[in-house]
Amino acid sequence: MEAQIIKIEAAPRFHEFWRTFRKNHMGLVGLVMLAIVIFVAIFAPILSPYDPSSTHNVTTSDVYNAPSAAHWLGTDDAGQDVLTNFIFGARVSLIIGFFAAFISLIIGGVFGIVAGFYGGRTEAVLMRFTDIMLVIPDMPLMMVVIALTKPSILNIIIVIGALYWTTTARMVRSQTLAVKSRKFVLRARAIGSGKGHIIRHHILPLVLPILVVQAVLVVSSAVLAESTLSFLGLGDPTALSWGQMLNYAFGRGAMSTGAWWALVVPGFGIVWVVLGLTLLGQGLEQVLNPRLDTHHLMPGRPVVRNEAGKGVEISNEQNPLLDVQNLSVNYVNNGKPPARAVENISFTLKEGELVGLVGESGCGKTTLMLALLRLLPAAGQIVNGNVFFHDRDLTTLTDDEINAVRWKDISIVFQGAMNALNPVRTVGEQIAEAITKHLPGFPRDQRLQERVIELLDLVGIAADHRDHYPHQYSGGMRQRAMIAMALACNPQVIIADEPTTALDVMIQAQILELLDSLRKKLGLAIIFVTHDLGVVAEMCDRVLVMYGGVTAEYADVDIIYNGARHPYTQELLKAFPDLTKPKKKLSSIPGYPPRLDALPIGCRFAPRCLRAIERCHKEQPLMHKLGDAHVASCHLLEATK
Amino acid sequence: MNRWRYLINKISWALFTILFVIILNFFLFRILPGDPARAGVRDPRLTRENIEAIRIRYGLDKPIINCFESLNPVKIGSCVVNPLDTQFFIYMGNLIRGDMMISFHTNRPVTDILSERLGNTILLIGAGQILAIIFGVFFGMFSAWKARTSLDYASLTLSLVAWSIPTFWLGVILLFWGSNNGMPIAGMSTPGMSSYPLFAQWGDIARHMFLPTLTYTIVYMGEYMLIMRSSLLDVLSEDYILTAKAKGLSVFQILKDHAIKNAMLPLVTIIAINLGFTVGGVVQIETVFSWPGLGMTIVEALNRRDFPVLQGAFLLIAVSVIVANLLADLAYSYLDPRVKTE
Amino acid sequence: MSKDNFLEVRGLKKYFDADRPSLRFASREARYIHAVDGVDFNLRRSEVIALVGESGCGKSTLALLLMGLEEPTSGTILFEGRDITHLNDSERKDLRRKIQMVFQDPYESLNPTQTIEEIINEPLVVHGIGSSKSERDERVKKAMEDSGLKPAEVYLKRFPHELSGGQRQRVVIAAALVLEPEILLADEPVSMLDVSIRAEIINLLAELRITRQIAVIFITHDLGSVGFFADRVAVMYLGRIVEIGTMLEVLEKTEHPYTKALISVIPVPNPRLRRERIILKGETPNPIDVPAGCRFHPRCPMVMSTCKASDPPFVTLSKTHQAACLLLVK
Repeated sequence: MEAQIIKIEAAPRFHEFWRTFRKNHMGLVGLVMLAIVIFVAIFAPILSPYDPSSTHNVTTSDVYNAPSAAHWLGTDDAGQDVLTNFIFGARVSLIIGFFAAFISLIIGGVFGIVAGFYGGRTEAVLMRFTDIMLVIPDMPLMMVVIALTKPSILNIIIVIGALYWTTTARMVRSQTLAVKSRKFVLRARAIGSGKGHIIRHHILPLVLPILVVQAVLVVSSAVLAESTLSFLGLGDPTALSWGQMLNYAFGRGAMSTGAWWALVVPGFGIVWVVLGLTLLGQGLEQVLNPRLDTHHLMPGRPVVRNEAGKGVEISNEQNPLLDVQNLSVNYVNNGKPPARAVENISFTLKEGELVGLVGESGCGKTTLMLALLRLLPAAGQIVNGNVFFHDRDLTTLTDDEINAVRWKDISIVFQGAMNALNPVRTVGEQIAEAITKHLPGFPRDQRLQERVIELLDLVGIAADHRDHYPHQYSGGMRQRAMIAMALACNPQVIIADEPTTALDVMIQAQILELLDSLRKKLGLAIIFVTHDLGVVAEMCDRVLVMYGGVTAEYADVDIIYNGARHPYTQELLKAFPDLTKPKKKLSSIPGYPPRLDALPIGCRFAPRCLRAIERCHKEQPLMHKLGDAHVASCHLLEATK
Repeated sequence: MNRWRYLINKISWALFTILFVIILNFFLFRILPGDPARAGVRDPRLTRENIEAIRIRYGLDKPIINCFESLNPVKIGSCVVNPLDTQFFIYMGNLIRGDMMISFHTNRPVTDILSERLGNTILLIGAGQILAIIFGVFFGMFSAWKARTSLDYASLTLSLVAWSIPTFWLGVILLFWGSNNGMPIAGMSTPGMSSYPLFAQWGDIARHMFLPTLTYTIVYMGEYMLIMRSSLLDVLSEDYILTAKAKGLSVFQILKDHAIKNAMLPLVTIIAINLGFTVGGVVQIETVFSWPGLGMTIVEALNRRDFPVLQGAFLLIAVSVIVANLLADLAYSYLDPRVKTE
Repeated sequence: MSKDNFLEVRGLKKYFDADRPSLRFASREARYIHAVDGVDFNLRRSEVIALVGESGCGKSTLALLLMGLEEPTSGTILFEGRDITHLNDSERKDLRRKIQMVFQDPYESLNPTQTIEEIINEPLVVHGIGSSKSERDERVKKAMEDSGLKPAEVYLKRFPHELSGGQRQRVVIAAALVLEPEILLADEPVSMLDVSIRAEIINLLAELRITRQIAVIFITHDLGSVGFFADRVAVMYLGRIVEIGTMLEVLEKTEHPYTKALISVIPVPNPRLRRERIILKGETPNPIDVPAGCRFHPRCPMVMSTCKASDPPFVTLSKTHQAACLLLVK
């Protein structure tokens, strides 16, 4: 079982690490189990009822006695106390396990770091060697070597150590390669650091966690290996490990005499140690490489309505296509109060309109978009508001009902990152899938292919590309393919979530032109999420400026750029470069955007606002109507109506 | 075109590794104490002439390899021995002809012995792997889908325990339970079954197979379940699953058309590798249940110092591991279009 | 002219192998990634030059070449008159004090296991600067305060993950400044920061240019952000500089068709402005298959028949302004 490559974000100095680890139940249980065994092994002479080396009068009647007061776990094939042997057996098994693992880790660690860091021929040779060692069957080889040399503790340790380093070498090499390609290593080289310095200060600290996890896993493998070898009769006859105990019991009639204690007890010890180590290893891995334990298919949370914060009539629209009213979304934060990611946002969308949703990172714009189609992650919950689409409130629909609305009426174009499309299915298949899902009457024959080709053509992709896989497309092409897919069912609304953010400016221009022409041709309404104020100015009819999860300002595009009233909007415009005024000095806004789980009391922009008054820090501003279809949330605007 | 190059590359590497293993195999049994020539002499049934005949046939009286035996730096470069007349080349020559020597113990050709036993092992592994895969994949999928619920935690714990149990011990415990409940405790079939109709014979073998297969299944099921769970969890957090959800596909459709295939990919590799390894790793189960397969063969040969058999078995296992790895690579490259074959 | 020039680059090229050598068959011709394909430019003391271009144009590779983190395939780099193109490790190490780099990703540029103090102290340790700990501490503190991390004490014992993106970038700058470099190479230093924070960093660099007389080579794809700060601009396409001049010359007296197209599509935050956008067709070019003749000709809206055959030389349009286009060859 391979541990994942560890990308360390939070640097755990020990006490911080311990705090996180303490909360990991699996790891903690494993640690406790291991601690108990180590304790038993160290204090064996004190804990065991008998002295194992004493050969007091043992007669045949002492053989395989059932558990009794004198012998809590019975006696074995030689008449000795099983409990005593069990306790002392821990020593043998642990010693062999730890030392063998130690050897493996040294070999594997050195091979891995050297191969990963130096690359080239060194790496090729080392890795080929490792590959060969990997395919040589461990157990038969160990058996042969030990049988033909001498079954002693030292030999067993050496043999296990000499064979069990291969996985460690591969893991360490992968991690070394991963770390080596990170920018801070490049920066270290740029500073002039030598190879030794880089290995010591940059590679090792980040490879160490993987070594620790591997260490735990290798010890457990070594313990299992030793017990297997001993069971097969290749253990050290002078050292009574648990495996050796089982060997004697099995080979000397424990089964036929029904002496279950002689068979169960030593095995139990092995399971305890290995399980403890495995749990510890899993726990460590989870702490060092926290994988989000949630996924996209987890059941969503029910929509709640608490009626707080009645909104202001913001638009004179009759029958808008989409009417979002007072939408609020929280993220559950176990133990702590929920993060208020979106609070009381309202906007409308009419046919053929392009609304721009502007905000910086962490302002909640993606959350807002996901909430519209009820695509929030497991921790997200709509806690207020309605999303009216043609007078149907999407927040009240059942799963099946919302599935029918998704894509068919409203579709989404995500950032066309490599994995927004399934990498092992062709693009054409994925487009066809959308069609067959929502248009069940659509014929599944040649005409389906023709429709796919038609859609691709609409976005400027040649027909034969439909049989290609996403990784064969360039970034711009992938984005266009996603647009084609989004159009597959002739939706009325398209939500485009930062569709051009990662693309070159020329490709961005192509995509924007495409979206604009599609809008005109098909009468689409588009919600365009972005942080680029230039794109918004070029494309949008209306603009919603978000900050810290709330609406800062919402108005027609011309008003936003030439008559903005909210301090944030004004400052943001001053911070955004304008190529037609190249000598204009850019201003910045002091501080940085708030975290949604640590929002300030009062106006969310107040900490950074140069015009904040005392009231701003205490009370959240209401949405004030400033004109026809122009609202902003700022205390300073209260007087002006 | 590129795929061919990839294939050739992988196959030639596999052949190279096999060659390496053959050479290793040869030297291993010559270097380790326990001179095969002397060991063979132990069999009291062999007459002096027979012993000599064996020695000459397998070149055991010849030097192992050019000047190797001397290992005296002075002597290097002045070898008087004809390199082709060494044990090494005789061994290689025989190997190419499919001759793996004769068992010191039973005097039967090693190839015969191995092929008999191999079948039994494959029967056992086959059944065990299939069941382990079915159960492991199913529980793994289920656990990942219901991640973080109590069902998941229970499933996870059971799998970790199964993963931690030594195979031989599980076998012993099951055997103990089975022997107290009337199950056969050793071997592959009851003596005297050959006079019964075929169907009854198979039933008998099945009864004997039950416990060892159960042991095998439990141990490997744990591993597959853990891998499947972790793999599916990864897949289900990918962006394209969100895209699929946004497309309005139902959970079942998403699992079927997008998630399972992707999640199975790592499993394919592991299964193939396991298949290769367990030809050797099945030693534990066969010893406990006295199942007459390749594992038992090794243990017996080891006890009797029957080198030709050991050598042959070892080679067979190593080659099957290498071939299994090769098949795993090729299967993976076929299933995952992202694998760069250029 | 070379006396003034602090840094001179002549005919610099860097080719990477496109295929893995082991899989290359003898019959196939070797394919190369022409990352940098003949670059010439000069830099004067405390001058700021912006290198602009899209992905695949070679700007990042050029930065690595100038930093000595990659070996050029051919061409020369002269620093203060000295040829620094091929240096061994120890010679290179001395040079590092003069040229430092600021990277794009503030989240990746810092080792998460080091404290801020360790990060900024590291260059001093590597170069053996400062005879005592307190002297090094002084230098670290000064570098931090010059980068806007005031008061320094607050940040010293923190870890990168405790800082915001803007603060991290300041740490990277401080770590570069502590060696008192004369040239700062900034590779897209603000593209991963929030809009409201970008100006902070750019203004910081502008300030450093004045207070410390540092020359800055500012690599970006966003020409607007360096409008007020850069003296000159060089526009790159497929490994070459296609136009170079002062900021005003390139923006207002644009001559090269690619530059014209690029400027026309950069979005401007002004909804009332109706511009004619020259949107080039096709993908961003692949540096493996460089077109013959003028490398821009397949996408050029003003292509002539001669463009397919001959590679245009640089045409001097003014003392500071040059562009490589056959249309300008009269």
